[in-house]
Amino acid sequence: MALLALEDLTVRFRTRGGTVHAVNGVSFDLEAGETLGLVGESGCGKTATGLAMLRLLPRPAGRVEGGRVVFAGRDLLSLSEAEMRDLRGREIAMVFQDPMTSLNPVLTIGTQLIETLVAHRQLRGAAARGRAIELLEIVGIPQAARSLRRYPHQFSGGMRQRVMIAIALALAPRLLIADEPTTALDVTIQAQVLELIEELTRESGTAVILITHDLGVVAGRTQRICVMYAGFVVETATTRQLFAAPRHPYTVGLLHSIPRPQATGIGELIPIEGAPPEQLTAPSGCPFAPRCAWRIAACWVDNPALVPLTRDGTVAGEVVNTGPQATHRLACHNPASAEEARAGRPLRPGFEAAPPPTDILAVQPAGSAA
Amino acid sequence: MIGSPTSAARRPGDAAAPYPAPGGATPLPPRPLLEVSGLAVHFPIRQGLFFSRQTGTIRAVDGVSFTIDRGETLGLVGESGCGKSTTVRALVRLLRPTAGSIRFDGVELTRLEGDALRELRRRFQMIFQDPYSSLDPRLTVEAIVAEPLEAHGVGTARERAARVAELLDAVGLPPAVAERYPHEFSGGQRQRIGVARALALQPELVAADEPVSALDVSIQAQIVNLLKQLQQRFHLTYLFVAHDLAVVRHMSDRVAVMYLGRIVELARAEELYRAPLHPYTVALLSAAPVPDPLIEARRRRIILSGEVPSPAAPPPGCRFHTRCWLRERLGRPEACETVDPAVRSVLDGHLVACHFAEQVGASAEQRRATGGGNEDAGWTDGGIGQTKGEAENPRSRGGRD
Repeated sequence: MALLALEDLTVRFRTRGGTVHAVNGVSFDLEAGETLGLVGESGCGKTATGLAMLRLLPRPAGRVEGGRVVFAGRDLLSLSEAEMRDLRGREIAMVFQDPMTSLNPVLTIGTQLIETLVAHRQLRGAAARGRAIELLEIVGIPQAARSLRRYPHQFSGGMRQRVMIAIALALAPRLLIADEPTTALDVTIQAQVLELIEELTRESGTAVILITHDLGVVAGRTQRICVMYAGFVVETATTRQLFAAPRHPYTVGLLHSIPRPQATGIGELIPIEGAPPEQLTAPSGCPFAPRCAWRIAACWVDNPALVPLTRDGTVAGEVVNTGPQATHRLACHNPASAEEARAGRPLRPGFEAAPPPTDILAVQPAGSAA
Repeated sequence: MIGSPTSAARRPGDAAAPYPAPGGATPLPPRPLLEVSGLAVHFPIRQGLFFSRQTGTIRAVDGVSFTIDRGETLGLVGESGCGKSTTVRALVRLLRPTAGSIRFDGVELTRLEGDALRELRRRFQMIFQDPYSSLDPRLTVEAIVAEPLEAHGVGTARERAARVAELLDAVGLPPAVAERYPHEFSGGQRQRIGVARALALQPELVAADEPVSALDVSIQAQIVNLLKQLQQRFHLTYLFVAHDLAVVRHMSDRVAVMYLGRIVELARAEELYRAPLHPYTVALLSAAPVPDPLIEARRRRIILSGEVPSPAAPPPGCRFHTRCWLRERLGRPEACETVDPAVRSVLDGHLVACHFAEQVGASAEQRRATGGGNEDAGWTDGGIGQTKGEAENPRSRGGRD
């Protein structure tokens, strides 16, 4: 049985502008010790998915409308607040993008670290202090004993993120949710921090969900990837499959939007036209259709389900949910072929993206754009 | 007319390019458009509430020299605090340089004041990082884009409106947006508005400070393409500042790498990414993640120890010596700690500030970081789905459509 199973998770945010359909039926599994990347651009629902799992959605605006988050056999969404509090930190920990806002600025690093150990580990006094120093040493904080008496603002961004990782991994949780853990950091520091997370979670057998917009970061650090768009998982595969043979036009578009460091340096970028939808209504068709170069008529009226790629996706006729053999799944009516994925545009002679049916146009929020 | 639409062919140093220089001077001198030498920007650190006294100096930019040719793009890359933004701000005179010379088209900028500075400033403009804070929320798009025209007293109200429409069209926005306010737009559209404003006065040099780093990946590509397109169309010269190595390479003809207030390496983009000669550049290239799992699996990163020292107290000798992997490799030669390495030309026009740059060229680290030899780091070849691994992975082949 998988360590974690998300089933049809649905999250809504009530805002003054209306109800935002942030997460729309997301499902995935995670095996113990596995590393999964959750990739997408701002607003795609990747952070809301992470917060919903830990029941940390900002209230009262955000709420889980449906679905289950089954962790080690228990549905987290039906636990009591006390049970959930006990589980957070001990079983599931989270690292956020900005360590300055997730650390308490008026408490020393030591207090915050020891607090975690005392609350969950029944360690007291010198024992807790000793363990705290040990943890800071593991994450590479120089002069660990002295650092315990320091406040978050006395550390640099990279060091603060190390402290966060020390706190998150203090209790050897079974799952770590890392939400853009290195986005605020410089590239050389990013490499240090990612290396640290990888090393520590490998040692403790901790599964990781790495939430990021950076395809470079997930390429080297995950075994499997879910690509999200407008609150839907649109493509999922093992990391190697996804990069070697992306099939969803959005994934293809993302890969062609990043400059590839090629020798010639003149490879043109192929941007995705337009901008993501506002998600104030459920999309009437595929949420990506208004920006998609591959769209056919069906894309405007029918939102495709995430289904296994039958011919090259199944292993021995069976759908595999997790691990290095995971099945390549796709939510697309008209996937890109391998050649098209490479070229970044549809190559079929005479093919043109289907124009929006006029009656649908009225309710499509996106589609205009630069 | 915004500029000459026929100036399609542009190359660095192409002095014959038909760019109509303001003032009617048609023949262009072959010298660089911008010459910076020994530029320094220091900020005093003050302490004390009533009797504030200077207790130190932050050497944000500390002796930077480079040139930019007409029509060329110079990329400036480095990590936060390296002084790249300060350099740009000093160039457009948003900051007063502490020392050094900035010559724009032969005119010394650092000594210009008042009207003379205003007049010259028309010819260099800036694009800012944050499209959310760099546009006045109370002004319509039309007012924002027309502002530089009004400030310089260009045209009548009617002419200015026509010019705004032209500019909006050039940056790919429909004319209807003129009446709207910044908050109604997405980040990418706001950045287009910022670009339109920067181009309003037909500048020759545009300094862009992290123009795409606040944008989502798919939108980044739109703006990068737009900037390249506008450069061709209006024969612009760019100073392109960013921390993203791949984006800088994509945009630039030449690239300068900054560390702690200094340029440590400057070379043609191709050259710099193929054969970097400064240990810091090698480390940067090796640390930057490449969107290809097969390359990532093979790469070995140089993890720099420690953090960037404070620019208030830069290390003696070479500023990078406290984190340098090459120094460790060479058994900590004394020169690194005592002698500040001068910028020298190693190969044809490849500038580097390292005592042991020759050793970098011979190192396995350089090959690994750049993909020279057999170890592919992704900086030299590859395309989507074209990596070697595809052939190795039977499931990624066949069975499609």
